[in-house]
Amino acid sequence: MNLQAIRILFLKDLFLSRRPLFAYFVAGMAASALVCVPNTTLTFIGFILVVTVAIAAGIHLIGTLMLSEFTDQTRLFVMSLPISLLDYSIGKISVVLTTYLIPWTSMFACLVIATYVLGKPGNVVVLPAIFLFLLCGFMLQLMTAVISESVGWTICVMVAGNVGLNVFMMKLFANAEVAATIKSDVLSWPLVILQIISVELLIIALALVAAFLFQTRQRDLV
Amino acid sequence: MKKELDSSTATELAASMEGVSKSYKHFKLRSIDFSLEKGTVAGLIGPNGAGKSTTMRILMGLVQPDEGTVSALGKSISSSEASSKQDIGYFSDDMRLYKPESIGWHMQFVRSLYPSWDDGYAAQLLDRFGLIAHQIVKGLSHGQRVKAMLLLILARRPKLLILDEPTNGLDPVAKHEILTELMRIVEDDSRTILYSSHNTQDVEQISDSITFIDRGRVIASSNRDEFVERWKRIRIHAPDGWKTPSMEGLRLESSHRNLHVLSLSNFHEQVPNQLQQSGIVIEAVESMTLEEIFVSSVMRGREEIQS
Repeated sequence: MNLQAIRILFLKDLFLSRRPLFAYFVAGMAASALVCVPNTTLTFIGFILVVTVAIAAGIHLIGTLMLSEFTDQTRLFVMSLPISLLDYSIGKISVVLTTYLIPWTSMFACLVIATYVLGKPGNVVVLPAIFLFLLCGFMLQLMTAVISESVGWTICVMVAGNVGLNVFMMKLFANAEVAATIKSDVLSWPLVILQIISVELLIIALALVAAFLFQTRQRDLV
Repeated sequence: MKKELDSSTATELAASMEGVSKSYKHFKLRSIDFSLEKGTVAGLIGPNGAGKSTTMRILMGLVQPDEGTVSALGKSISSSEASSKQDIGYFSDDMRLYKPESIGWHMQFVRSLYPSWDDGYAAQLLDRFGLIAHQIVKGLSHGQRVKAMLLLILARRPKLLILDEPTNGLDPVAKHEILTELMRIVEDDSRTILYSSHNTQDVEQISDSITFIDRGRVIASSNRDEFVERWKRIRIHAPDGWKTPSMEGLRLESSHRNLHVLSLSNFHEQVPNQLQQSGIVIEAVESMTLEEIFVSSVMRGREEIQS
């Protein structure tokens, strides 16, 4: 493993994604600010925008940093340089994950702080479950992109994730234990939320391992 | 190439392939044996889809062969190993740079990976190729894009250059600029070039040795001058009912009434006498161009497979 090569690849991709990254960061902050406005309609619109930014950022960054290397034929250029498949895989997966986590973490932190400050501590408990669901969807898209190298299949996973999110949120808010916690002025962590978070973290870890293993076991680099 | 180079045991090899095979769904590279002597220019000529690019990608470690061994510059080549690529410059017509970025940005990126990067030479190449560092790749013409990629390869001063159809689709001026630069590189005896094309004229200009490849097989390989010396076209006048005599390397190319055109892949002084013994009159013995030799080799190879 060549750490210097990984660092160069990471910085190269970070630079190449600077424009969408900045756009999604700004859009995410604006959407989060809208959630904090003390108006039910604007809060709802803001939350929808937060989810939209998270989903759009995921597919856009995977497309820009990973799938475009195949469609634009830049991967052949990169792999002709003194870079091993291991270096390439570590650099690529880490930069895609990092660039996604920048707007994701910013929006999540912003909403957690705002919800707490606005005096709705009970609402805080649903945020990790929803945001980790979004991260799960992103990781599954990333895994699909690595395995299939296909824009079509990656979009299919994104659409499935989007539909799944709606069902997930409906079920989450319908849960009696969760509903009681949301109304509470005291922050507490219901067992069901902890179970959901555990499953989400497991899916994220499995998708990451699968993407990495598949990427590093390819026999042909182009 | 192998036949010729193996006879010279004292020569140092820049690259070699032994028994290399690779299967795809609709294509198979079959047991390729190939050696490349250090300090020479080797041409790899083949029609589209012959296996030139696959051979070069295997040599570069970009594609893992199903069978066989590959080495370059004294190191075993594998897709998991990167150090062997440090001294190899690879160009492919399928290769693309990042469209939104400039040539200068690419130069900085490649420079950061190569301690051998030569800033002075890079500046010279920019000037010779008529490129501007801040030009955005998206706005480059095909010729400028090829020259920019070659600049990125040549400025790191690789010991082995693997160039897959670098002059494909170029205008005559751009082609001349690139071939001139390659000829400058060849003046340095320590540097080796493997150059592929389906255009025999380009390869003939700069190559010391030439290998023909078709349908995943090496069909002929030799020194460039030997090819031209050994291959001859013989125009004959033959009596009715004459049949092509059994002679190694002899092939009937075309016939019109009693006039026949033969090609011979191993011509020597005794050949005219041997042919005349079969009752024919030799009208002319002509040299063949490399393109004619290539086409004849391909057709012979295909006939052998069919028979």
